[in-house]
Amino acid sequence: MSQVSVPAPVTAYRPGVRSLVTLIGCEVKMVLRDTAGLVVPLGLPLLILLTSAGSAGGQVVANGRTALEVFVLPLVLAMVVAMIGIINMPSFLAYYRRSGILRRLAVTPASPGMVLAAQVIASVLQALVGIALATGVAFLVFGVGAPADIGVTLGVFVLVMAAMYAAGMIVAAVAPTPNSAVAIGLVFFFLVGALGGMFGGPDALPAPLATIGGWLPFGAAVAAISAAWSGTAVGAAQLVGLGTTVVVGVLVAGLLFRWE
Amino acid sequence: MSDTEPAILAEHLAKRYRAVRAVVDVSLRVDVGETVGVLGTNGAGKTTTVEMIAGLRVPDEGRVRVLGLDPRTDRARLRQVLGVQLQHAHLHHALRVSELVDLYRSFYPDPRSAAELLDLVDLAGQRRTVFDKLSGGQQQRLSIALALAGRPRVAILDELTTGLDPKARRRMWSTVEQLRAEGVTVLLVSHAMEEVERLCDRVVVLDGGRVLALDTPAGLVARSGTATLDDAFVALTGKDLEETR
Repeated sequence: MSQVSVPAPVTAYRPGVRSLVTLIGCEVKMVLRDTAGLVVPLGLPLLILLTSAGSAGGQVVANGRTALEVFVLPLVLAMVVAMIGIINMPSFLAYYRRSGILRRLAVTPASPGMVLAAQVIASVLQALVGIALATGVAFLVFGVGAPADIGVTLGVFVLVMAAMYAAGMIVAAVAPTPNSAVAIGLVFFFLVGALGGMFGGPDALPAPLATIGGWLPFGAAVAAISAAWSGTAVGAAQLVGLGTTVVVGVLVAGLLFRWE
Repeated sequence: MSDTEPAILAEHLAKRYRAVRAVVDVSLRVDVGETVGVLGTNGAGKTTTVEMIAGLRVPDEGRVRVLGLDPRTDRARLRQVLGVQLQHAHLHHALRVSELVDLYRSFYPDPRSAAELLDLVDLAGQRRTVFDKLSGGQQQRLSIALALAGRPRVAILDELTTGLDPKARRRMWSTVEQLRAEGVTVLLVSHAMEEVERLCDRVVVLDGGRVLALDTPAGLVARSGTATLDDAFVALTGKDLEETR
């Protein structure tokens, strides 16, 4: 056995911003190298925009705004955030948990909160790229007008993203495997999407279902973005629906989320 | 901690998984700078014991201290002086070797350089290779490098060389010998008698979640009246380590 000197006392140390930035960079690379996870949530909503914008762009429905601005673009933007928040992010977290990546990180000074923050930030960056892409195409190709109130619109986007990621955290908390996370996320996405008017608008649904869908995160997101964009008051039902989703998501994930 | 305080102190550890008593009563003291091997058949409680010492599992009973720190309450301080290579843990599968090394280095205040880490495990030539494209042995070597990124004062290495080819195994043995020379305390879980005899100052033999013996390799052989450590293990446990791998 080798001779060693008296060891120095251990002082507390937590990784700082440099470490968080490195971790975010790694998470971004993981997203970029996951081709399906990158392309589908950005490409599918864009495809819906491209195929619907022609007819919807010429149809004025309210406040001088077209159906493209009032119905299609809010739906497309809500889809981008919902697909990434409810399907992609939970499946990444479930994979990390299942494969032991979170367990491996748990024996380093990186805190679970830091790992989660990096994952969410990388995911939000992907959503922002999707929003910028869809909005850019709508502006440049189809001549969509700017939001009536940019401040309110940005505020609504923050609330929508918080609600979708909170819903995603519920999926991450209850899904035991990556496959089940994708399955639960897809079912949840299509359920709230269908009730929120993703397939033909809320008017095509029976009234009770349309009412329920309007409170759920997808329907509330579409209605809130639409109102903010066209300059009408954002409904209290939508704000309550999105806010409740955030609170419930945080509580459920806080109680049920497991790191291994 | 004082200069007489052990690097690792485990007292009467017990852990149960539902009906299974994985660890019944394990006590262990490892002095600073010592390399101690943990031997046992599958299900002997080796991994559960080291995971309780690493703070990954909470003991049902007993007490753990690493460099005087409680793994449950002193997590932040412990994590910067403890390096752990887990038996079953993957890394971000789509990241390159160099990216993973940079990531794990970023967690520590004074990490080893990336070049030193890659040289240590002979992976300099794979620095641009994605983790998923590495062979099993290369993945294991990278995992060991990452465990050493923060210049740990205590290293827990679970199945250090399982699955490695003879050349890589000898390379890992040299790495452990280098750690010893640097004064690092090493707890080494192993199935390989040759490895334990070569690297370890003392060996703890576990069976059925209890400590059967804790002695030097030569002491274990002498007390069992056998000729080799392999035979000493069989005499102690009634089981052949090779058959349980």
